[in-house]
Amino acid sequence: MKWPTSKLGYTAAGMTVVVAMLVPFLLFGLFTKGFTKLGLRVDEMYSGGPTVRTIQADGYTVTIHKAVYPHLLQTEKPFVQLDWKPVNALPQHVSDAVDVDGDGQPDVRVSFDVPKDPKTPLRVDVDALNPRYQAMRNVGKQKFSELIVRVDDAILVRVPLTGR
Amino acid sequence: MGGPFLVGEAFLLGLASGPACVASCGPVVVPSLLAEGAGWRLNARYLSSFLGTRFLGYLLFAAIAWELGVLVSPPPAVRTLIYGGIHVLLGVALLWYARSIGRGCAHACAASGLVSIGRVGKRGVPGAAILGLLTGVSLCPPFVAAGLRAAQLSNLAAALLFFAVFFVATTLWFVPFVGMGCVRRNASVIFVARTAMILVALYYLLAGVAMLAGRRIYG
Amino acid sequence: MADPACTAFAGKTPPRSWGRALLLTLPIALWSLFMSLRGLLQPDRSLQIASALTAAFLIALFFMMMKTSSTYRWRRWFFVALGVLFPIEFIHNVMVLRGSMGIPIEEMIAGRTPFCFLPIPLLILPAALTKTLVFPGSLLPGGGMAGAGMAAMAGLWLAITLVVGKGWCSYACFFGGIEEGMAALPKKAHWKKLDPRLRLVPWAVLLAMVLLSLALFEPAYCMWLCPFKAVSEYVAARNTVGMVQNGIFVVLFAALVIVLPLLTKKRTQCTFLCPFGAFQSIFNKTSVFDIKIDRTVCSPCVLCQKSCPTMSLTDESIKKGETLMSCMKCGACVDACPKGAAVWHIRGTQVAVKPERARLMFLYAAWAMAAMFGGTIITQDLATILQRVI
Repeated sequence: MKWPTSKLGYTAAGMTVVVAMLVPFLLFGLFTKGFTKLGLRVDEMYSGGPTVRTIQADGYTVTIHKAVYPHLLQTEKPFVQLDWKPVNALPQHVSDAVDVDGDGQPDVRVSFDVPKDPKTPLRVDVDALNPRYQAMRNVGKQKFSELIVRVDDAILVRVPLTGR
Repeated sequence: MGGPFLVGEAFLLGLASGPACVASCGPVVVPSLLAEGAGWRLNARYLSSFLGTRFLGYLLFAAIAWELGVLVSPPPAVRTLIYGGIHVLLGVALLWYARSIGRGCAHACAASGLVSIGRVGKRGVPGAAILGLLTGVSLCPPFVAAGLRAAQLSNLAAALLFFAVFFVATTLWFVPFVGMGCVRRNASVIFVARTAMILVALYYLLAGVAMLAGRRIYG
Repeated sequence: MADPACTAFAGKTPPRSWGRALLLTLPIALWSLFMSLRGLLQPDRSLQIASALTAAFLIALFFMMMKTSSTYRWRRWFFVALGVLFPIEFIHNVMVLRGSMGIPIEEMIAGRTPFCFLPIPLLILPAALTKTLVFPGSLLPGGGMAGAGMAAMAGLWLAITLVVGKGWCSYACFFGGIEEGMAALPKKAHWKKLDPRLRLVPWAVLLAMVLLSLALFEPAYCMWLCPFKAVSEYVAARNTVGMVQNGIFVVLFAALVIVLPLLTKKRTQCTFLCPFGAFQSIFNKTSVFDIKIDRTVCSPCVLCQKSCPTMSLTDESIKKGETLMSCMKCGACVDACPKGAAVWHIRGTQVAVKPERARLMFLYAAWAMAAMFGGTIITQDLATILQRVI
């Protein structure tokens, strides 16, 4: 009775060696593709949520993202991300009133300086024109839900929501 | 608004929030449940005790919040202090619980009854009850969502009914945990569960102290 | 008195002749050369030299495995080289790209956080329940330090795991080499009595971290417990809690990767902490290769138990003639056993019948993976060093 299981064992071991040979040519690519097709997405607390619409400004654009709400025990606030790009088309000082919710009324006024050196830390002031959004004074990049950072060719501002 | 409609809304909200409740309570429930004795009856008793006191915690907080007129949205500074305090208490309770399991084993091998925090025997308080109460008052996000909805209702009785139905619906998601009674308990499983409980407790303690000290955990 | 030269190989495969060893090395030699071909064909001279050196190194080690019929000490050279070179190149790259080992928040937002395999078990539940990856990386190649992205790492992990199972921890992990090197330094262990229950701690860490990752919606192990953050990258400390986190990483690294391996001659981080190792142990159940103890030959002298770097042999398991689930198939016990009672084995076959065949089949599969994954990393690391030197 040992013979069939032994044969099965050797067959499986032989197949393992064959599978090993196939990893760089077939399996690696296959599994990687399979993983991308699972429809997974990176947590929006990091990625900032999908784009809702883009506003055309004077030579540059302001992209508005969907509001992001923290999960479970995450102690971040809900926020909305706004992207100004391209950076080289921005004036030295930006002060834009942005209609975030698309109702035709400005909701926040965002003001920041655009330094020439991309490594210079950014600071932002946000005036809340709608009580749904929280004002910010001289904010840098302390929290995911409350920041201004430069990512490649864009300046990202995240404005927290008040929950009202 | 009609009663049946209100009940239906609370039930659906509870069902939708259930996974979040399970995820939120998971770090407390899973290791402590694994550390208890095996068998679905004992595990069902644990869950009943845990969920019962969690419900009490919900109602207690809702009633106090209603009385104080702040409902479930206290100012952020106060909320951080409450969160921090409860995290510390939860951490201490988990550590105490992990310690009690060893003591319980020496006497009754944790097989005949739930692990007690405090004195061993009939006078001890079931650990599950304490953990349930503390998770109940810890303002988990689904609870806040239900609280905000309940706040719009006309009177306290309706708000409490809304909470009760909401709670029952979220509880359905906890029923599969009874199946953990089938996991065979041996010294290794108990050791793993106790150690996991200590790690979770240390996280809650650190998070709680940081919150009380006004420090951010994230960001 | 028996001739020591004879007793040294009693019941074990004796050393092979040069010709036979060379013949057995040939497939791996061809594979290693093929793997290094991409580097050899590049115009970059450093990369060419690094590729050639790596291929020669891997072929030489495999040849010695074939020649001496021992596995562990030759595999260890590869594994230590991988473990030492990886952080050197990684730190060099982050310093060049960012000027700091701390990941700035904008890099996390841009999805350029490097993704290693350690968080994989922590991401499964949040991904299954919410279709969300709780890691600030990119699914696809994100540029910068993110390398090939999370999908490629996950694909590679799955493919290699399919082949070697828990053998990942001996032939693919680019972190374990430092402690294995540290454990090899002292002649004997100073701390011999280790509580055997401690080897269950990785399971507890796995349980706690999986649950906390789901509740907190973040890779809790990476945020709080990973010792290798001390030699790779960490969340830039923007506040007191960040300082505490970085303090934990450094203390755990110093204790579990440096000091304790020196004192115990064990891979203490792998044995007493690593949740990925515990997770990977599950795949020992699916692997066709394992290590058995031939009870008809075993004395028992427990030399195998003493030599095991991860405490995967206990008195009870030896009595049962098997290793624990945490066995990573490094071959230390097989090499240490003077009677040849510890043997490589293929499931379904009889124990100690043609164990060398089982060893060969496993080593061909495992070394092919080592050359493909670890070999590529070593090549890159060497090339970076050579670029600085030449």
